[in-house]
Amino acid sequence: MPISFEHVGHTYSVGTPFEYAALKDVNLDIREGKITAIIGMTGSGKSTLVQHLNALLLPTEGTIRILDRTITAGEKPKKLKSLRKDVGLVFQFPEYQLFEETVLKDVAFGPKNFGATEDEAAQRAAKALKQVGLPADIAKKSPLELSGGQKRRTAIAGILAMDPQILVLDEPTAGLDPAGTAVMMELFRTLNKEYGKTILIVTHDMEQVFRYCDDVVVVADGTIRTKMEVKDFFRDSSLCKSMNILPPALIRMKDMLTEKGFEIPEEIDDIKSLAECVAGQVNHG
Amino acid sequence: MGNITLGRYMPLDSPVHKMDPRAKIMAMLLVLISIFFPAGWIGYGILFVAVSFVIILSKLSFGYIWKSMKPMLMMLFFLLIINVFFTKTGDPLFTVGGFTVYTDAVLNTLYIAVRLLLMIMITTCLTATTKPLDMTLGIENLLKPFEKIHVPAHEIAMLISIALRFIPDLIDETQRIIKAQESRGVDLQEGKISERIGAILSLIVPLFVSSFQRAEDLANAMEARGYAPGEKRTRYKVLKMETRDYILLFCAAALLACMAWLAFFR
Amino acid sequence: MGIIDVRNLNFSYDETSKTINDVSFSVEKGTYTTIVGHNGSGKSTVAKLIAGLLEKEGGSIVIDGLELNIENLYKIRSKIGIVFQNPDNQFIGSTVRDDIAFGLENHCVPQEKMDEIINTNAEKVRMTKYLDHEPTHLSGGQKQRVAIAGVLAMKPDILIFDEATSMLDPQGKDEIKKVIRGLHEESGLTILSITHDIDEVAGSDYVVALDGGKVVMTGTPHEVFGDEQKLRQMKLDVPFSLKFARELAKAGVKTDKHITMEGLVEELCRYRSNM
Repeated sequence: MPISFEHVGHTYSVGTPFEYAALKDVNLDIREGKITAIIGMTGSGKSTLVQHLNALLLPTEGTIRILDRTITAGEKPKKLKSLRKDVGLVFQFPEYQLFEETVLKDVAFGPKNFGATEDEAAQRAAKALKQVGLPADIAKKSPLELSGGQKRRTAIAGILAMDPQILVLDEPTAGLDPAGTAVMMELFRTLNKEYGKTILIVTHDMEQVFRYCDDVVVVADGTIRTKMEVKDFFRDSSLCKSMNILPPALIRMKDMLTEKGFEIPEEIDDIKSLAECVAGQVNHG
Repeated sequence: MGNITLGRYMPLDSPVHKMDPRAKIMAMLLVLISIFFPAGWIGYGILFVAVSFVIILSKLSFGYIWKSMKPMLMMLFFLLIINVFFTKTGDPLFTVGGFTVYTDAVLNTLYIAVRLLLMIMITTCLTATTKPLDMTLGIENLLKPFEKIHVPAHEIAMLISIALRFIPDLIDETQRIIKAQESRGVDLQEGKISERIGAILSLIVPLFVSSFQRAEDLANAMEARGYAPGEKRTRYKVLKMETRDYILLFCAAALLACMAWLAFFR
Repeated sequence: MGIIDVRNLNFSYDETSKTINDVSFSVEKGTYTTIVGHNGSGKSTVAKLIAGLLEKEGGSIVIDGLELNIENLYKIRSKIGIVFQNPDNQFIGSTVRDDIAFGLENHCVPQEKMDEIINTNAEKVRMTKYLDHEPTHLSGGQKQRVAIAGVLAMKPDILIFDEATSMLDPQGKDEIKKVIRGLHEESGLTILSITHDIDEVAGSDYVVALDGGKVVMTGTPHEVFGDEQKLRQMKLDVPFSLKFARELAKAGVKTDKHITMEGLVEELCRYRSNM
């Protein structure tokens, strides 16, 4: 397991009137080489959870094991900086972290902070820009000249250039249009399948969870409500409904059809088989 | 950020909270002036009792005042050291390794400490009991007479209230950017000067970019809702002086007179 | 002529490219119109031009019979309420109450009438309980509801939503969509909503689709969303019902074009009962 949480708690502003327990007794294992979705309502503790992954926040209770490091509450962590290199964390609206004069320089900023030489950093930046699908001629432009989607990809390239083993993304498609969202999600799939990165995505979009993710973690009130494989999670809509989550369109379609008396086997999880199944039931006559 | 108490509004229900911000601002100014009269320990004693009374009346805890005072302790300590070295008047208090400490060194520091404490108590009485918006409204009203000499009272007040409104948002934004850049390996605690400058730039540039975006959005929202600088507007909150406000002003003025008498005519 | 009438509108932020290129459309009074298009298609610019926040370069905008120009600007702005994308950046007052009052102050509403107006409009967006709350203690959806109350207080004839739900979580999105729908149905306000939300578009009366600063399609949601290929060209989302209908066709079941799942399922049921 590249990441495991044992009885992890995080309380903000301990000992003040603003004291607030954002995470309580979190136990969680993340599978290597998979895409894991982290879902939950605003204020459920998702953001606090992911900020523990690269030690931006330290647990106030329990132990976290990430790659080969152990972070225990109350102990001063070692090798903190190298952890930030190995676990790339992309914040929501990451385009707001761009600051250099050129796209290339900005992407090279991370590797340079982790000790890469100017040349190495530039090379890695160029590679990362290619990975996120930005054209080469963009490298010399100012980040401010780019479109919203390009800025976002530049910011993600800035994290990829550090060559992290684990990539954590906090609502990476927020504010993008459907086309931009699709491009972004395909990018994460490629990074996972071709470059072998373990990916965690915080999202509200069930279609994304359904189509792109392997595992799903539901966070509620600072605890892990459920953790399971996506295909089991969406097997029927009852689990989603019990958690006040709108299931993906395909699952809703299955529900509606079943309600009207169609016989839809539970294991159908793609649009083509569903269409064939329905066709079989209306075509006889 | 939860630890900063100085200047924070405390939503309590007390007679002081209900007072007119103009009366409170004026009273604060009068009492602040009186602190600078050399009224001696008796004077400070009277002031301390009077201000403590207002604090109790406004339901603030003294622990809260103490928290505001805490950051100042370091400064006072340095002041004490400087005074010990340079103040050689008064009676010798004690001698350590051939170095004599005089009473005036301690007394001078104590004077400053007491004045500082009083100042913090008085300003806290105002800021903790007055909503930022009421404060700006008070300032705007007090500045009104100066509009004749082209002081843009309304614009100043609008500026302050917008700034107050967005300070929490800007703090959040700054923390977010710090975390984002830390995730890219920025180390704000250590490093060479050149790295430090790079680190600071990586915070300031994004903060500027997002603040400009925010300013543009805000300008659009204000304009769309009919705001035009310099145009006539009505006000939702209208201030009205009541008996208790006049009593407060009278007491503050009396305190000032009392201090002046103690300092100069006794 | 509609309550909003846009003719041959042109605008550009810089000299190199036209953001809005000869755009014409009209919105009938009391309708719910949506403007769709991918990011950068110019849809938000159109909203800002109509609200007079940007100055057009050519063409005309007529609001309720009034030509939008410098003389009529304030008159027209009092007819239009606009809610923007970012919930934080349009909350001007220090509390909900003060924020709703902001527009009233600008419109010189007498002070003694304000409380009543604030209460009525807070009620409309169900924020009465939160009147004395500060923005930092409100969710994104609640802040957008306050923004709606703020513009409603000025009694506009037209409400423009410029991607007002795009920064919200699913709960917030739902809240706001319900509020907008409720306002449209109960008070018959003309709604112009710029959105990516396919369900919102499906429920609207009329759709204007923009691409590259030009109007590429107009019509009912049915007409616009019926053309899957065109939607893909415009980089827009295709409703699930259309995708499913296409798969059904491949499997040998021909259906009508439906923009809602309910419609499609109903048709399928009919075929089954004919069996």
